[in-house]
Amino acid sequence: MANSLRLYLTCIRNTLEAAMCLQNFPCQEVERHNKPEVELKTSPELLLKPILICRNEAEKCLIETSINSLRISLKVKQADELENILTKKFLRFLSMRAEAFQVLRRKPVQGYDISFLITNYHCEEMQKHKLIDFIVQFMEDIDKEISELKMSVNTRGRLVAAEFLKQFV
Amino acid sequence: MDQRLFEFGAVEYHIKSSASDPQYVYLSISTPLLSQEVSLARGISQGTAQTIKGIHSDMVELIEPAAEGYQLTLRLDFYKIPQGKESSKIITEIASIQAAILSCQLKDMLTNVTSQDTSQGMYKPIKLVYHPREPFFVVRQPEKTTAVFPMRFQEKTDVIIATAFFQELMDVGSSEAWVKVPLCAWSPIPPPELRGEQMEDLSTNGGFISFDILPRHVKGKRLDKTVWNLLNFYAFVKYHVKCTRGFIQRRMRKRLDNLVKVLHVASSEEDGYAIDPQAAGCGCIKSIISVPKPNNTVRRRCRNFTRKIKRMRCPIKIQGFRRFRRRWLTVPKFSSPFKYTKLD
Repeated sequence: MANSLRLYLTCIRNTLEAAMCLQNFPCQEVERHNKPEVELKTSPELLLKPILICRNEAEKCLIETSINSLRISLKVKQADELENILTKKFLRFLSMRAEAFQVLRRKPVQGYDISFLITNYHCEEMQKHKLIDFIVQFMEDIDKEISELKMSVNTRGRLVAAEFLKQFV
Repeated sequence: MDQRLFEFGAVEYHIKSSASDPQYVYLSISTPLLSQEVSLARGISQGTAQTIKGIHSDMVELIEPAAEGYQLTLRLDFYKIPQGKESSKIITEIASIQAAILSCQLKDMLTNVTSQDTSQGMYKPIKLVYHPREPFFVVRQPEKTTAVFPMRFQEKTDVIIATAFFQELMDVGSSEAWVKVPLCAWSPIPPPELRGEQMEDLSTNGGFISFDILPRHVKGKRLDKTVWNLLNFYAFVKYHVKCTRGFIQRRMRKRLDNLVKVLHVASSEEDGYAIDPQAAGCGCIKSIISVPKPNNTVRRRCRNFTRKIKRMRCPIKIQGFRRFRRRWLTVPKFSSPFKYTKLD
């Protein structure tokens, strides 16, 4: 793993460990309702200051915390147009199947490629450190998968081009 | 019988037969030519006539002159068409005559160069239309013939995948191992040879790809392959783009399963038991945590072990004792604390 990537992921992990202290908090506006306050943002006293961690201009992570929920938004690096469309397709594919991940948001926050929403209920059902491990592992896997996809597409193109040109020989 | 059939690209077939002469069927073909600019001699080209003669001359006969409004009329002798697999082969060859007419026209262009091609010292590009809305250009020069394909796609994703493919095509074609293939070039703007053509033909989103066809690529048997590759280049690229999209989709599905497994292992360790896949909410999760069923080998071993234990407990064997023991010495089984089995 590159040094800058390791530092970036370590910083995110430490921030999540500090931010993921969630507790059940019923909605102050509506009786008998329990909503993730980080999404509604109606009561400023329940929100913490959002933290933006940037690896470079293209890669960044926004962590927004509230009393009962936490939202993590990621921007993945896209070096060229092919990586751009592969990233968009893959992350949209995952977002449309968000119910399989439980903590994934169906629509990313504006300006980012993918978003997670973790509530106090998720912290009760799952182990906190495992959740953080999942988020960090997810970030590594996405980068790796996009790179492998790009390489596979180029390799396929090369093989097909060779087969096409072979017919002229 | 008098039937008219239409195919894409304004191709028309006319099938006619009479009751007085059921043996013979007349097939007339009308197809828009590849190029309206290249003048043809009256009737069909020599290459097309030879192709038709190569298809079982006793069954297929070329009628001249052709029926009015059609380029070609054939007389088919149905009584001479054999049964079985041979008939489907002949029918396939007859059905591909339309493609043969168009490919013969391109063959003539690749092999002949005339003075009419020059215009103000520049070689005038000839516009060819094999598939509607997908024209391509052929520029004939003394040393080579250049085929230029303006590429258009409906979606941006297709454009990017195709552009990546064209880059690879250029890289492979320019390598030392592939010296004999036509030189391939891609550019996002129209090449100089196409200056002066209509704007609607030059407006593309996939750029322009060109092949330099040399005389050695059109010698002998290579001519057919070269013509076939050029005429079907658009279909080839679109098929590659479609297959690449399917490959990306399959790969994403596979990756999704792996990513989801990680999360569910994390949640199951907290609970300490296996999670019902239906409750997880995704129908595509196949195996989360499950205890494997014992297979036949394990069952056989358990059975043998139990028998050994029983033999060890009862080393003395008495004839008929087993039945006696089963009837009088077995302990009654209690299915529930509130129910008793009746003793005989």
